[in-house]
Amino acid sequence: MKRILIIAMIIMAGNGIAAAQELYVNTEPASNMPANSLGIRLTNKFFNMKHSGDNGMRFEPEVMWGANKRLMLHVLGYASNMMQPSVKLEGGGVYAKYRFLSLDQQHAHFRMAAYVRGAVINNPYYPEMPDGSHAMRPYDNKELDLEGVTSGVNGGIIATQLLHKLALSTTLGYSRYMNNVKDEIPDDFSRSSVNYSLSAGYLVLPVKYKSFQQTNLNLYVELLGKTNTDAVGRGSYLDIAPAVQFIFNSTTRLDLSYRTQLTGDMARNTSNSFLIRVEHNIFNIKK
Amino acid sequence: MKIVSIILLALGISFGANAQFKKASVHATGLTCAMCSKATYEALESLPFVEKIDTDLDNTTFILTFKTGAPVSIDAIKGKVEDAGFSVGKLVMTANFDAVSVQNDAHVAFAGSTLHFMDVKNQVLSGDKDITVIDKDFISSKQFKKFSTETTMPCYKTGMMSDCCKTDGAAASKRIYHVTI
Repeated sequence: MKRILIIAMIIMAGNGIAAAQELYVNTEPASNMPANSLGIRLTNKFFNMKHSGDNGMRFEPEVMWGANKRLMLHVLGYASNMMQPSVKLEGGGVYAKYRFLSLDQQHAHFRMAAYVRGAVINNPYYPEMPDGSHAMRPYDNKELDLEGVTSGVNGGIIATQLLHKLALSTTLGYSRYMNNVKDEIPDDFSRSSVNYSLSAGYLVLPVKYKSFQQTNLNLYVELLGKTNTDAVGRGSYLDIAPAVQFIFNSTTRLDLSYRTQLTGDMARNTSNSFLIRVEHNIFNIKK
Repeated sequence: MKIVSIILLALGISFGANAQFKKASVHATGLTCAMCSKATYEALESLPFVEKIDTDLDNTTFILTFKTGAPVSIDAIKGKVEDAGFSVGKLVMTANFDAVSVQNDAHVAFAGSTLHFMDVKNQVLSGDKDITVIDKDFISSKQFKKFSTETTMPCYKTGMMSDCCKTDGAAASKRIYHVTI
């Protein structure tokens, strides 16, 4: 674990021509999108479900808006086949981020932001199995999240530091899970959790910026952790998520990320996932 | 000789009428990505007095060329950079001066803005000159602190006209841009 981080830091520090990048794939940076701009995202996650052995997928369309230079808002939808054999709309969510500190210098900055997230989800807490089929293994899961699994709220603080060639970002948040539209959280699930992350990113290409048409290649490594804090369903995990990102025409972004568990004692039905995302940004929507 | 001075005077008047900001070099700080630069570029492009923008992306610097005769707002340039999510690290305005007499810590009304020259020798400015805006949020906070300690004038900290200001050099507005050469 520690070794991976150190190696990652050495690679990044040693890469003299690289600039830092903070457009993290699995977390949000403390920086906001520009005021008066609109972003459209389509995220697809693929994951193996241990109970059935099937591949699950979740589709997340997202609209992002830079309300002003400090505040940005997201509206998301979730659709998945995680809890039943076919894909269905699960619900939606909102996300707001407020940047309250910004210390900019030449090729360096430190920023802090606060965020809140809310989700309303219509899903059972145990998957429905199609008639006549049997689960490969019992459904053993104590992980809830607001990205399609359960309703609830999450809030936290993000700090992002650009240090020479390395962009580091950390998130600390608290989630309170609430009952889904039709189903109540079973008694053996933790109703609250703490989430934490450490993300690092750097720009590989272009070596020298000349035009907005140059394709950018960015690499990321993120550590994503969660601890269920209630006495029931208590447990923790720490995932690692390397990611590669392309930016075309300085407006369109393609993210690819693989996420897998490094360590943990939380029961999870899914501990590996693959993410693909396309994002397009429109700046200055109002002239 | 008399004719020459009359011609010079006539030229001077016509130059005087053309006295304006011609260009600005905006160095934005805090940018780390292509999208950031693109967003800043498009924000600056939306300024009504900007004709074209040349970029030095490697140095996150934007060279704005202003429309002839259009009133230029220095604060609006900063506002656009900040809206895009970044800060101005350095702003150098290229202005066409016509024998403008400049004194240290004195105001000059210029092209609709009031300029307060700091850290300069008394001189007469003619032709295209570069002046650097040194108000708060136009330079790094470190540099701002340094300039703040060098002046006792409270208007430097606020950027607004105050009692300390010498009244000679008619003020175009309450907003005073502190500049140096």
